[in-house]
Amino acid sequence: MGGTEVPMSGPALRIRGLRKAFPKVVAVAGVDLEVARGEVFGLLGPNGAGKTTTLEMIEGLTAPDAGEIEILGCTWARDGQAIRSRIGVQLQSTSLFNKIRVREALDLYGSYYPKARPTDELLALVQLQDKADAYHITLSGGQQQRLALALALVNDPDMVFLDEPTTGLDPQARRSLWDIVRRMKAEGRTVLITTHYMEEAEALCDRLAIMDHGQVIASGTPASLIAQLAIPSVVELTFEGSAPDPAAFSARLGEPVERRGERWEIPTRDPKALLPRLLETAEIAAVPYQQVHVRRATLEDVFLHQTGRSLRD
Amino acid sequence: MVKMVWRQFAMEWKLYTRDKGAMFWTFAFPVVMLLGFGFIFRGGGGPKLSVVYVEPAISSPKDAALCKAMGDLQLKVIRLAPAEAEARWGRGETALEVLPAGSGYRMRLNSYLLAQGGPTAGLVNQAWMMAQARLAGAPEPGRIPVSVESPGGRKASNYAAFLLPGLLGLNLLSIGLFSVGMVNVSYREKGKFRRLAVTPLPKWVFLMGQVLQRLAICLAQAVVLVAVGWAVFGIRNQGSYLDLTLVMVLGTACFMSFGFALSSLADTAESYAAIANVFFFPLMLLSGVYFTLDSAPHWLQHAVWILPLAPFLTTLRAVFNDGASLAGHGLALAVVGAWAVVTFLVAVRRFRWA
Repeated sequence: MGGTEVPMSGPALRIRGLRKAFPKVVAVAGVDLEVARGEVFGLLGPNGAGKTTTLEMIEGLTAPDAGEIEILGCTWARDGQAIRSRIGVQLQSTSLFNKIRVREALDLYGSYYPKARPTDELLALVQLQDKADAYHITLSGGQQQRLALALALVNDPDMVFLDEPTTGLDPQARRSLWDIVRRMKAEGRTVLITTHYMEEAEALCDRLAIMDHGQVIASGTPASLIAQLAIPSVVELTFEGSAPDPAAFSARLGEPVERRGERWEIPTRDPKALLPRLLETAEIAAVPYQQVHVRRATLEDVFLHQTGRSLRD
Repeated sequence: MVKMVWRQFAMEWKLYTRDKGAMFWTFAFPVVMLLGFGFIFRGGGGPKLSVVYVEPAISSPKDAALCKAMGDLQLKVIRLAPAEAEARWGRGETALEVLPAGSGYRMRLNSYLLAQGGPTAGLVNQAWMMAQARLAGAPEPGRIPVSVESPGGRKASNYAAFLLPGLLGLNLLSIGLFSVGMVNVSYREKGKFRRLAVTPLPKWVFLMGQVLQRLAICLAQAVVLVAVGWAVFGIRNQGSYLDLTLVMVLGTACFMSFGFALSSLADTAESYAAIANVFFFPLMLLSGVYFTLDSAPHWLQHAVWILPLAPFLTTLRAVFNDGASLAGHGLALAVVGAWAVVTFLVAVRRFRWA
């Protein structure tokens, strides 16, 4: 494995000018990122934003067209094996043999590394002790994902990469995965996680970057991103069925109104002043709305504001 | 490194033994084929030929003489009344029928069963000549003796002995195309290779473990099949074990490389299955696994030698059944070797992990 000296200070990950084009699409168009040691960093964006391609280049699975990647002070060109020994990776699909037992999978993957964590410790960490002798194929979706996280931790890694670990899971399974990610942070690991769930990013991430069309369009702490919006509140009018065209109403109200599926959204700095005027105008125009909500802006609104699109479009 | 390869091999083997379907197709199925076809065609000359004899209204001495002569020639004579014979003919079960016509006979040959009825008609005519000679009191005509021998002349071999090397070759082909080619396409498609690529495990260790495990399967299969052949049909290797090993190693190398090379042509397991079957079925049916291509056109008999299975089986049978040396089979070995080298190079150049 070579005797590469591994620097213990500096950022966990530093990326400069990362680019990758495929025959039909530019997947990553110049990405700069820096992730500090010990933080949970989120990479957010809709499907096709370039998150997974970015992650695959960082993990050494895809060669970049241009740009620099430095992980834990190492580069792929010089210290590929050293990086592989010190990172843990969970890919979008678990891709194990159907008939391998949970304990066997952990033992097998552990054997690929110079040092491996005890299998029983990993089983306890992801709460799969009573599934230790079950075949992989018999596990539920949430259990399979927990096993994937345990496999990503098998070598006691300094940095962990999680690619949409909770996609397709029910809320309870998602919460249990969040606990494992928080445990990783508590153990001092750096975590880079991609997701398209805004509440997940808000719950887990110290900092995050929002990607769209292969570029980072905003980055910072979740609170600072929301603060940057300068529109802390959103008033929502919900309709039964899809919402009508708000153009005429918007003109009458003198405020921008956005239509989102079954509701209108009116971003505002001052909901207290807007609300009476809004209700009065709606009454006069006979708008057939069902309910009114006032909520604080979320990362979802940050994304909407930056791209004009919803995250899950 | 040896330990890592061993661990990979052991895990592949363990997972394989949990796949009962794969175990059945690789171990039990060839044995079932050998036992089934071996017993069905045990006579060596194939099933007894039968002829329907339609009984005349009044039997005469010449009828009795014909029936006796047909029996002497090992024909199975089914004697039926006209109505019954006609019903049997109508059901399409009769290949050849002998009916009274005037003072003699005529024969009716089923156009769908010419392969069986044709030779039978010849034997009936021979029987009729014998019967006429006997009725005339002429001396019994002499016959040319026939003996059944294998091409190498070592031993009279039965159909099971012909089939056994065919099944060994078919096993190698299916392991190469499916256990190697298909499996690696699906590993690539499902991202198993990508999951390995983010670990420090060298990829060649993974492939080496896989290749060794397939070799072990091939070996185990061959041992089982040869043991059953010996125990049930008394089939033994007539050649040198060194030659046998050399032929088997060359064949295994050829068909595994074939699988690896083919796996680089497809992106999905579905498209691979289509490509693999394009090779598998013609190779299986036209290479002499179950039967020789004696009655096929000459160009086809030559054409199948372009593909590796036919020359491989010819050489394997020559060694195993006839105890021939490899020296006389240079061309066949060259064809198999060329396939091994070309597919190996294609596999090395084109094999993809992602």
